[in-house]
Amino acid sequence: MPDPSDQILSSLDAALKRSAADATELVYVGTRDATTRFAENGIHQNMLSSDGRVIVRLMKDGRVAVSSTNDLSVSGLDRAIADALEIASFLAPDAAFPGFVKSDTAPVVNAFDPAMDSCPPERRAQAVSHIVDQAKPAGVQASGLFRLTTSRVAIANSAGTRQYHQDTVAELSVSASDDPTFGQGWSTGVSHKIDQLDPKELGRIAIDKAVRSRNPQTLPAGEYTVILEPAAVGQLLLFLGFLAFSGKSFAEGRGIFSGKIGELVTGANITVHDDPFLAEFTGMPFDYEGVPKRKMALIENGVARGVAHDSRSAKLAGVESTGHALPADNPRGAYPKNLVMAPGDATLDDMIASTSMGLLITHFWYINYLNPMKAQVSGSTRDGTFLIENGAITKPVRNLRATPTILEAFAKADQIGKDRVVYPQYSAAMYVPAMKIAGMTFVEDTE
Amino acid sequence: MTDIKAIEEAGSYVAAQAGKAGATYADFRAVAITAEAVRLSDGKPDLINRKVTFGYGIRALADGAWGFAATPDLTKASVSDSLREAVQIARSSAQLAPRPAQLAPLSPVHGDYKTPLKTDPFSLALKEKVQYLQHLDELLKATQGINSTGTFLDFRREEKWFYSSAGSVVTQNIVHSGGGFTAAAKRSRREVGERSYPTSGGQYASGGYEIITALGMESACPEIAQQALALLDAPSLTERRTNLILAGDLVSLQLHESVGHPLELDRVFGSERNFSGTSFATPEKLGNLKYASSIVTIKSDPTAPGGLGSFGFDDEGVLAHAATLIDKGLLVNYLSSRETAARVNKDSTGAMRAESWTDLPLVRMTNINLTPGSGTLEQLIADTEDGVLISTPDKWSIDDRRENFQLGGEIAWEIKGGKRGQIFKNAVYSGSTVDFWNSCDRICGPEEYRIWGTPSCGKGQPGQNMRTGQGASPARFRNVKVGQPA
Repeated sequence: MPDPSDQILSSLDAALKRSAADATELVYVGTRDATTRFAENGIHQNMLSSDGRVIVRLMKDGRVAVSSTNDLSVSGLDRAIADALEIASFLAPDAAFPGFVKSDTAPVVNAFDPAMDSCPPERRAQAVSHIVDQAKPAGVQASGLFRLTTSRVAIANSAGTRQYHQDTVAELSVSASDDPTFGQGWSTGVSHKIDQLDPKELGRIAIDKAVRSRNPQTLPAGEYTVILEPAAVGQLLLFLGFLAFSGKSFAEGRGIFSGKIGELVTGANITVHDDPFLAEFTGMPFDYEGVPKRKMALIENGVARGVAHDSRSAKLAGVESTGHALPADNPRGAYPKNLVMAPGDATLDDMIASTSMGLLITHFWYINYLNPMKAQVSGSTRDGTFLIENGAITKPVRNLRATPTILEAFAKADQIGKDRVVYPQYSAAMYVPAMKIAGMTFVEDTE
Repeated sequence: MTDIKAIEEAGSYVAAQAGKAGATYADFRAVAITAEAVRLSDGKPDLINRKVTFGYGIRALADGAWGFAATPDLTKASVSDSLREAVQIARSSAQLAPRPAQLAPLSPVHGDYKTPLKTDPFSLALKEKVQYLQHLDELLKATQGINSTGTFLDFRREEKWFYSSAGSVVTQNIVHSGGGFTAAAKRSRREVGERSYPTSGGQYASGGYEIITALGMESACPEIAQQALALLDAPSLTERRTNLILAGDLVSLQLHESVGHPLELDRVFGSERNFSGTSFATPEKLGNLKYASSIVTIKSDPTAPGGLGSFGFDDEGVLAHAATLIDKGLLVNYLSSRETAARVNKDSTGAMRAESWTDLPLVRMTNINLTPGSGTLEQLIADTEDGVLISTPDKWSIDDRRENFQLGGEIAWEIKGGKRGQIFKNAVYSGSTVDFWNSCDRICGPEEYRIWGTPSCGKGQPGQNMRTGQGASPARFRNVKVGQPA
């Protein structure tokens, strides 16, 4: 079987040669998505979808334009190039665009599992059965997702950059619920290798939590010490990233870190990197402009250290690209997609044992901005919220709406977990620990 | 170019061969999407993009369970393979199906639907669109203090070909147009006053370029710019309980989040539990729950002219039709598919929709329209002794059962003695769905009514962004918690 990288890059090379632009960049993004969803203790949605598209960005007389197509024939690519040339023809020259550069070939990272790329639907169904078989005797309903994705990205530009990367990602997410008693539980796992996911264990965790969270009590609104499980930390970190780590908003003076690099922005025990070479979950080793990635500090011991740039925001900020460009048809600019928070030395049990009164939170739902100027968000707890009294979990509680200001919340982290897990959301991956925060505001019971 | 003959052959093949392949039912849906985005920042192009995508998906029901396979490869071999694959996936689903799928009855349909439009937006030169947005930028910056603008236009054409083994053949050509702007007065990173028009994220509708010209963007520039300046020094809305008037665009968001989503019947049955959640509006409440006050009637209506959720047929081939969801406050129906409707012994409301060819259809909102009452917004304000008016949604979060919500708008006005007073920023309000809708005591009339478009409603895994509409007039709600602690 021919190496797909040769075939894709040859096709892009040929199209580059046919382009009448002064400079051209072609980005191929191919996906194979095999997803099984289950609910009511059975499979209800089950699909396989494949697609490949090419994003054209070109420069003609200093004018820059973008188009994209999933018609990968010669005529299809030529039409997309012609579309971009037509758009460029009436634009003013774009002085802010730095042009395309030749980048070194990025190191190959091994994140591809051939077994996943050809996994039959029967195997996904078998994994689901391991979960449902535990849920039924426990008297709960299992729901979830088992998704296997193969991604291929190839980049070629007229400056000579050539990059190729392929990876596979298996994601298994499990919810367990007992509606009459409001019991809810949840767990998730993600890996580049299908064999590294353990459906039985993920099912066990979610079902156990659903059983333990039956008949939750109502708590009054107010401020509580909270212990966030890793997914909840990851959700806050992701939203902080949208506001703080984007090079575009930073360079335009709108970012949370604008004017704050080198300053203490949160607790001294908080360190966050973007690291695509993390052993637990490697990312793409280059960005969508073909710039090789490297590990970079975003927050170090509470001090703002940097933001993620693509070539455009880097030029505006007067720095080099950090290798975080997203596809050129995205208007939001660069963003880090492999966020890693440094661990502490506490176990989850340590955190619970040292808490006289507080809440254990599995994760949040529908976090959204409340006051983006302050990095304040609103979201409700979900899938298992528990009251801790005198160092022990005493009872489940109904979901509450939290309105944390993220940097302030992290500044009050007096314990950080030593164990971390990979938590995926919105095409980013966070490798995060649990965290105990001395005070988070909850505005109301949600039910 | 789309090869229509090849699409027709593929659709006919799937419809004819589904049985031999082992399916008791199958449908074929090919989709070609052309999209154009023109986004300017401070009058300079930020993103100008043309995108085309084509492909098809085959949905098969075999052994009582569903399978779906999608690809852009329209060769005969690929079509045949995809049908076989969809059936194989369905059979693997059947190993663990919650129950054999039963479908509400549907007679075969033959139809062709085209969005009514005057000016095809793709027939206009991109240059004209860029110049129009640059003109808006100039108009906004004519107000001293406005130092940042964003202007945009978006157009989308979706051509669809649907064939089913039950004998349906449907073609559709749906065109959407959208546009809007933001104006900001910035003194520092934290001192910003920003306003959007016609609403945050712009207004979208089905139709041609005439949608854009009817938005009144040029004439709105001076007032919106002044409001942005006023927000620079405006105080935040502090916590209180009061009468709340929502502008039409916030009523639209409220309908979307607390009526549309909880009444998606797949969600009610738990299909989305692992992602976007469930619904408090469980089936035993159908016909029993006083969801809202008696002045509230809400319909799903994909036939409404100009709605962003308007179409001729849903993605199961169900003819678009209006269906009352809440009748004078009482919950009487759900948004449904053929399968979910059968579980409540009803016909499908024709709400099965997919974002693109790669996606499985899900139960989605169409146009969720609140029947207007009477009077203008100004008359409603004059009728309000004490309260707050909030406009232009910019904050939203609602729990996974769609009960407790916290929403907010860019701008609020205090209402005292029937008149607008102090302007506030950071205007949020919160409540619980049923209590909130039951507190609705007045809805403005047809003269204030508009179907607001939501161009990116997320649901499903893999995530799909659907385009929905919400018909709304401004409305008043009594004794609502607004603001945040001082």
